[in-house]
Amino acid sequence: MSLPELQHHFITAIFNRDQRDAAALLVKSHGKLDAAQRVGIYRNSVHGILWQYLESLYPVCQQLLGAEFFEAASDCYVDQQPPTRPFLAEYGAGFADFLAAHPALQQMLWIADVARLEWARHQAWNAVNQAAADFSQLANVDAAQQARLVLVLPASAQLLTSAYAIHQVWLAHQPEDSPEKVALEQLELHQTQRVLVWRAGRRLHQVLLDEATWAFLTAIQQANRLPDLAERFQAQLPALLMTAVQRGWILSFTVL
Amino acid sequence: MSHPVKGCGIGLRFQHIDTIVDSNQPIPWLEILTDNYLLPGSVQQDYLFEIAEHYPLTFHGVGMSLGSTDPLDTEYVSRVKALVERVNPAWVSDHLCWTSAHGVVTHDLIPLPYTEETIRHVSQRISQVQDSLERRLVIENVSSYLQYQQSAMSEWDFLCAVVEAADCDILLDVNNIYVSACNHDFDPLAYLNAIPVQRVREIHLAGYEDRGTHLLDTHGYPVSDAVWALYAQAIQRFGAVPTLIEWDNNVPELPVLLAEAAKAAEVQARVLA
Ligand SMILES: [Fe+2]
Repeated sequence: MSLPELQHHFITAIFNRDQRDAAALLVKSHGKLDAAQRVGIYRNSVHGILWQYLESLYPVCQQLLGAEFFEAASDCYVDQQPPTRPFLAEYGAGFADFLAAHPALQQMLWIADVARLEWARHQAWNAVNQAAADFSQLANVDAAQQARLVLVLPASAQLLTSAYAIHQVWLAHQPEDSPEKVALEQLELHQTQRVLVWRAGRRLHQVLLDEATWAFLTAIQQANRLPDLAERFQAQLPALLMTAVQRGWILSFTVL
Repeated sequence: MSHPVKGCGIGLRFQHIDTIVDSNQPIPWLEILTDNYLLPGSVQQDYLFEIAEHYPLTFHGVGMSLGSTDPLDTEYVSRVKALVERVNPAWVSDHLCWTSAHGVVTHDLIPLPYTEETIRHVSQRISQVQDSLERRLVIENVSSYLQYQQSAMSEWDFLCAVVEAADCDILLDVNNIYVSACNHDFDPLAYLNAIPVQRVREIHLAGYEDRGTHLLDTHGYPVSDAVWALYAQAIQRFGAVPTLIEWDNNVPELPVLLAEAAKAAEVQARVLA
């Protein structure tokens, strides 16, 4: 058998439990383990590596679902959507949708939204480093340029909205000594929450936004020009802009 | 600039990065898992560049998939190359195995069948990577839990033929030799004695887990007594080869890792005295 064929049989067995026998034909039985068990060691090892990785990415979902359920879900997800790139940090984007479609979780769809928040944190952490904002040049922008001015969010900025209290659920699962720790029993699950996650240097931040701020940052993310922002947010604009700049939610500006 | 790699170092793990960055630790050298630093412009690379200013470094990867019959992932190789050019590690290593096939990536180390066809294929791939990186590659023997029906030679004959054909160097994992020797019932000394001395650039030590039916290379325990004994024999044969402690699961506090590295240095001193 050629090497490509051997690898095909093997890779199929790793991501499909029912295909073990075809790969076992390629392997010697010896000692205390037969060929199928030896192939099984590799299936378990690959699934173990990816489960540990998903657990590190989705620690709050893991706590919400319980270790056993999470491991079984991870096993199933890995078989359905195995990695296709050597960059492990890219893997796991589809886990939230997988949970949302999971038959056992149809009454707990908020858990999928918590997974989206955890993926957003992962994305923000892995985003490119960017120099701190310099807004001193803003004063030199003339009226004609202002009409074409666009504000820019940090590359790490992730805006999420959910029909559930995902920010508080996330906080409830942080270590006991974390400052904003909330008790899970005390929170009202059914409330719309808008969350911003971003990275500043080596720190990840996550805050709850009010409706206007969320709309404002979303409009910026969609590259709305300054006059459009002024028209939409009217008298609120100066305060929205000042807060966003002060908090580091706006990285820079460009004139198109 | 590149600092010389000598003595006994440890694998750099996320848990210890802040400690290592914040305080000057007495660590002879550090090995990074290349794959964790391949996002251009990321905070991870930021940490790496800081660490590279203070410690000698080597790069150790899993994503090259040297034995795969898929086309070489040129994006992966070029990201490694960019990082190599920026940091200039003492050397770059990956494993003698395959990790991906038919477009699917396992992120695990799967053994190859030991045949003439495989020798030709994998040595050609190593040459291709060496040409791209414009550097010699150092390749590591992996632990294995199976033997293919079609394998026609011993693992050490296979390894020797590959490094000869590709003209690359060897990262000899003494724990992996021990684990595979127990799992497949061969003499680990026969393995050591077959390896060309001048090609061994680095030695790995790690802890395995005894599963009853087989030894599993989990990198989650101290180095076993049997592996320390085999290591002493390796040092006897290969001399003062830079040695690295790998610990990936249940990662202990930094002092525990450093004590393990110091133990390797003691073995070297004792054997070579
Ligand atoms: Fe190793």
